[in-house]
Amino acid sequence: MNDAACDLLDEYLAKARSGERAALASLVRAHQRSVYSLALRMLGTRDLAEDLTQDVFMQLNGNLGAIESNRHLGFWLRQVTTNRAIDQLRRRSRVQLTSLDEEQELFSAEDGADPLLQRHLRELLSDLSPQARAVLLLRYQEDLDPMDIARTLDMPINTVKSLLKRSLETMREKTGGLTLRCEDQPT
Amino acid sequence: MNQDIESGLRSALRPVAPSEEFSEQLLARVAAHPPARPKSYGLMPRSARPLAWWLATTLAACLVLAVGVQRHLEQQRLQQSGLEARREVLQALRVTSQKLNLAYEAVKSESTSLADEKPGI
Amino acid sequence: MRKYTLPILLALLGPTLASAAPNPKLAMPEFSGLAQKASESVTITLDPTLLSMAGRFLDSNDPQDAATKEIIKGLRGIYVRSYTFDKDAEYAQSDIDAVRSQLSAPGWNRLVETHSRKTHANVDIYIMIDHEQAVGLALIASEPRQFTIVNIIGAIDLDKLHKLEGQFGVPKLDIDGSKTTGQEPRK
Repeated sequence: MNDAACDLLDEYLAKARSGERAALASLVRAHQRSVYSLALRMLGTRDLAEDLTQDVFMQLNGNLGAIESNRHLGFWLRQVTTNRAIDQLRRRSRVQLTSLDEEQELFSAEDGADPLLQRHLRELLSDLSPQARAVLLLRYQEDLDPMDIARTLDMPINTVKSLLKRSLETMREKTGGLTLRCEDQPT
Repeated sequence: MNQDIESGLRSALRPVAPSEEFSEQLLARVAAHPPARPKSYGLMPRSARPLAWWLATTLAACLVLAVGVQRHLEQQRLQQSGLEARREVLQALRVTSQKLNLAYEAVKSESTSLADEKPGI
Repeated sequence: MRKYTLPILLALLGPTLASAAPNPKLAMPEFSGLAQKASESVTITLDPTLLSMAGRFLDSNDPQDAATKEIIKGLRGIYVRSYTFDKDAEYAQSDIDAVRSQLSAPGWNRLVETHSRKTHANVDIYIMIDHEQAVGLALIASEPRQFTIVNIIGAIDLDKLHKLEGQFGVPKLDIDGSKTTGQEPRK
């Protein structure tokens, strides 16, 4: 996100803190994709993801005064979403994906996306521990570096690196031999 | 292959939007529920006020303590991060300087060879 | 509510619509496979926040820290990837090519290209100049059992790099920022 967009969102945050509902709505719109995607990929079903997303933003509603900047807001939302998802997952057994529609929604439907890779990714995510899943999502969905992941999850950085490494190793084993589509991604 | 896996992950894990219907419901719900205000102390019955006062004071003290502890932990975490960042800066510059030295040695070695080949220069 | 969406979109799309200033930040591949094979690896990602944080923890009374503080003052990022292997030829040049190819983009100027017969090391140093000021440095060093990529973003002061002499064991460099030095042709 560039500086102009960040400045704008900082302005909305200030307005939202003083009670302006339109500004709060803009903040929700700006961050809901990220929160919803994290919730969906952590919990596995649309219903649970929607519930969690709603809870997170309602919690934000009551904690706006503590949020100092849009950057802090992003950090807070990721932290609350992942922590609450991890708590939920710990209270119940392995997540089951129930419908093909929901499976397709879990991963971005890009033209030319490899369906075999998609299936393996789904299996990988559901096989990972809640913490490992959170680390993977924060790294590859939110593009956080390991230090920021460590701060978000309140976890030692070496644990983050170790979880990333092991998750990728598992992925390599499960996707070995597949022809994968290669894209250059900026760091 | 490994670069493909991580590129594939980034591609597959791009954020997805919730349904428009959910989005509208969410905005409506957030707009309809402003932050809760604390209840006015004056509306409590007289008999409950001393107990409530004691409870509120204890809670406030616990809160201050908790915030203090949290700040201390946060400070410790920041210090740890800062020291780690310092270590990484020093390491990065050390690595850079080693490689600059390699380049320097190669250039120096080339200059020496040229001087040996052409003694008049 | 919707009237805020367009400004946000325009702000977010701004960088792609406006004419691009040269970008000294290189896109670094993950090198995960190489990290597995390497006996030692160094991965350093220091963004402006971390550099600023590091600066606060550098002791001005210590000569090394003080020199370091001076150097990082104008910097906005330092990125290092370095891998050491137990045997020769454990990595391919193609592993580095994804980075090297970015250095033919407008803005980058090759400062030095060296090859050592003694150590079989190739070191290429590139600099990005914008409005007559150095704004980025890229260094690619490849040796039989090690390769290193360094990307430094910000106001590089070559004089200050010279002053590293004695601090990190770097002798004074006869590198003029405006021309390429002589080198033997790479084999």
